Amino acid sequence: MRGYRTILVERVDLGQGTTGRFHGLLHSGGRYVVSDERSATECAEESAIVKRIAAEAVEDTGGLFVTTPADDPGYADRFLAGCLKTGVPVQEIPAAEALRREPRLNPGISRAFEVQDGAVDAWKLLWGNARSAEEHGARILSYHWVTEVIREGDRVLGVMARDNRAQEMVRIEAAFVINAGGVWAGEIADMADCPGVTVVPGKGIMIAMNHRLVRTVVNRCEHPGDGDILVPIRTVCVIGTTDVKADSPDDYSIDRAEVQQMLDAGEVIVPGFRQARALHAWTGARPLFKDERAGEGGEDTRHMSRGLALVDHLRRDGVSGFLTITGGKLTTYRLMAETVVDAMVEQMGDARPCTTADEPLPGSEDGRHYWLGSRLAAQEEAMADDQLVCECELLPRRKLIEAARRRPGMTLDDVRRALRLGMGPCQGGFCTYRATGILHGLGDAETERADELLLTFLQHRWLGLEPILYGDQMRQACLDDWIFQGTLDVEHLPVAVPA
Amino acid sequence: MIGAGLAGLVAGVRLAEGGMRVTLVAKGVGSLNLSPGVIDVLGYAPGRVDAPREAIGRLVAERPDHPYARIGADAVEEALAWFTGRVPQMRYRGDGPRNLLLPSAVGVPRPTALAPASMAGADLRGGGRFVAVGLSGLKDFYPRLLADNLTRADLPEGATVTARHAEISASPRPGRADVAGQVYARALDDPPFRAEFAAALRGLAEPGETILLPAVLGTARAGEVFDELQERVGLAIAEVPTVPPSVAGMRLNTELAGAFARAGGRVVLGVEAVGATGADGRISGILIRDAARTRELPADAVVLATGGFSAGGIELDSHGALREVVLDLPVSGPPEGVPPLSERHLDHQPLMASGVAVDGMLRPVGPGGEPVWDNLYAAGTIVAGAEPWREKSGEGIAIAGAYRAAGAILEET
Repeated sequence: MRGYRTILVERVDLGQGTTGRFHGLLHSGGRYVVSDERSATECAEESAIVKRIAAEAVEDTGGLFVTTPADDPGYADRFLAGCLKTGVPVQEIPAAEALRREPRLNPGISRAFEVQDGAVDAWKLLWGNARSAEEHGARILSYHWVTEVIREGDRVLGVMARDNRAQEMVRIEAAFVINAGGVWAGEIADMADCPGVTVVPGKGIMIAMNHRLVRTVVNRCEHPGDGDILVPIRTVCVIGTTDVKADSPDDYSIDRAEVQQMLDAGEVIVPGFRQARALHAWTGARPLFKDERAGEGGEDTRHMSRGLALVDHLRRDGVSGFLTITGGKLTTYRLMAETVVDAMVEQMGDARPCTTADEPLPGSEDGRHYWLGSRLAAQEEAMADDQLVCECELLPRRKLIEAARRRPGMTLDDVRRALRLGMGPCQGGFCTYRATGILHGLGDAETERADELLLTFLQHRWLGLEPILYGDQMRQACLDDWIFQGTLDVEHLPVAVPA
Repeated sequence: MIGAGLAGLVAGVRLAEGGMRVTLVAKGVGSLNLSPGVIDVLGYAPGRVDAPREAIGRLVAERPDHPYARIGADAVEEALAWFTGRVPQMRYRGDGPRNLLLPSAVGVPRPTALAPASMAGADLRGGGRFVAVGLSGLKDFYPRLLADNLTRADLPEGATVTARHAEISASPRPGRADVAGQVYARALDDPPFRAEFAAALRGLAEPGETILLPAVLGTARAGEVFDELQERVGLAIAEVPTVPPSVAGMRLNTELAGAFARAGGRVVLGVEAVGATGADGRISGILIRDAARTRELPADAVVLATGGFSAGGIELDSHGALREVVLDLPVSGPPEGVPPLSERHLDHQPLMASGVAVDGMLRPVGPGGEPVWDNLYAAGTIVAGAEPWREKSGEGIAIAGAYRAAGAILEET
């Protein structure tokens, strides 16, 4: 938007990292009003902007902070004072009114506060940003893994990246390099010989439940803790999360004890939570910044700031043409971009103002928010002319074919991130075979590749299913096994079964 | 009889034909409508099985807790011979003691003991030339994937396969893009669409080729549809089962339910069995709940055929506790020290083999091996110890187990 020729490289697919691995909460800021005032104010300002520029990706659910019987009743007054101080819009409502709006809520709540939380679809937000960038002339290279930051003396001149699909090295020369590597930002800074940028992966678990047990975001009115947020998003609601320092940002393993912890936490917000159907579990790693040179310490990730962190390598390391932006939250993604590009412009001696807060993303021009029935409404119009590849997520065949033409060689996980394939109740039970057959039929995936796509997708779905298999989802998983193994015998396809 | 799947219906037919007064209660229609319509006995153990009877012998020697160890290989043969006579319209075909090798919808040569004549013609053991034909309105069948994988398939020595693909657009709902398999099937029961369909197929295949079609060739008049299509097209045709709902499974369900009704059996659908009354180790009645009340259905003997996890006979709660839903029978889960589930999806998943353990008479037993009730029997996927979708053993276990349970009741009374 500021007129620079830009290339974005991403090591896997857009959204495969932290951005696609959160609970979907567009923070009002209420969560941080007591413990992290700067983050609270940033969230309040930025969530209002995101609702405006990315309306299509946001459901304006509103939010509640409620004092449950398990919470410190004294926190509510501090919360209210914090909201006023940090500029987070808030209004106390009677507990009975909160229960009228949310009948499943714990009837023992004593206080309730209305805030401006929302639910944001990370993938829609990403694709909106990507389309906008491309319309402004940017190139986006996914599956490009940075292996080297090219330096000459005190200047960064570009990067070397491995194209993991074409299996070749790519050299990109640039007047400026911005490191927005999130939890991996420290590794990139190391490549530029700027050591000590430590990004601690604060790993958290999330579980999607098959129904919207609440219709507004519900937060416990308490110091931020584990499993104290329930976010209604699309047809599900997501409970989260934990915060554990992970050894590696690539550790996506799911701890069964944390699953039980989340279910217990869900019971506090919505009694009977354990009887609801769990759909899928995943983990993501927050980028929590710690500058070793600034001497900040601590291993307790829950209490590390969610604030964004700009690392000016010219001042810090004497290296020009290179900036790191990390920390932050999805809610403040735009502010992070503005902050780092402002710093770049200043270093380059340019004066080009930021317009990202004003210009809506493609698809959001009319300012209308996502609403629960929008996908079904679109499907009803197209019903007679097209086949539904995925009934759960209402994915028409035409959209799959268009996506394959735009981005040849997708995996089914790429399709999932773009079109929500396999994310609904049956977790790929029907659509996996269909999507494979369609991509193969188009010539997009030759036979061996098609077989691999199918088995890999089933395996990846399983990783998020196996830890939460009980009740109706166990039933579903066994039905899916009858289909894929029983009827189709996919385990004997003539390819190596993916690890 | 509790449960309207394959095991419940088979036990019901045998008992009713044996002169018993039989009532079958079930929450809904059984899961046969989801099954591909073939009769698996043992397809993998874990390598591909050519002769199931011998393979069952080896299997039960290694795994004494497998359902076949209770049922016995002899009973399987006897039960299948009896069973195929009960469903003549399915026209089941096999190769004596050997498995057929039929293409799955993704083109894997899938072993099975018996298949309807409309499918058996695709037996891959001798190789052949095939053309897989898709229907443009049906999203559950991808002929190119089937054909391309068939040409890469692992076949017995000497068998060579060539396969290509085609598509026809004949549709019972012209103008609709998304047409379900059952809609094709019902339309093919009617001669006019059948003629249109045959005309579209004619000329697609060359002499010597076998046409592979999705298993949607008719419902009530499937035999007639199949014969007439072959005759009009002048070539061999074979149906290939695909993802549910399964038209071939529906045919089997309809014919078996018809056999049960003709033998005098009574079906009560839409009720839930919720318990039993009894004394001195014998059940005297089953408690069933319908819309308004719970009432007792008196019974001299009971067969529990409510299925495993997928059908809802066994449940797992969020704390990991297993439960048999009707009678709260002891459930046999993974042994101590064995991880219940593997992170690799296609691995053995011990938890999924949970169910009720049975004795040699197929009566559910407690931890000490003693029957819970002297006159309670269990059959089908509720019986612990198998992962039939992996083994390709579901129908064999269900039919032979139900046949034997019914036999035990007939002997006893």
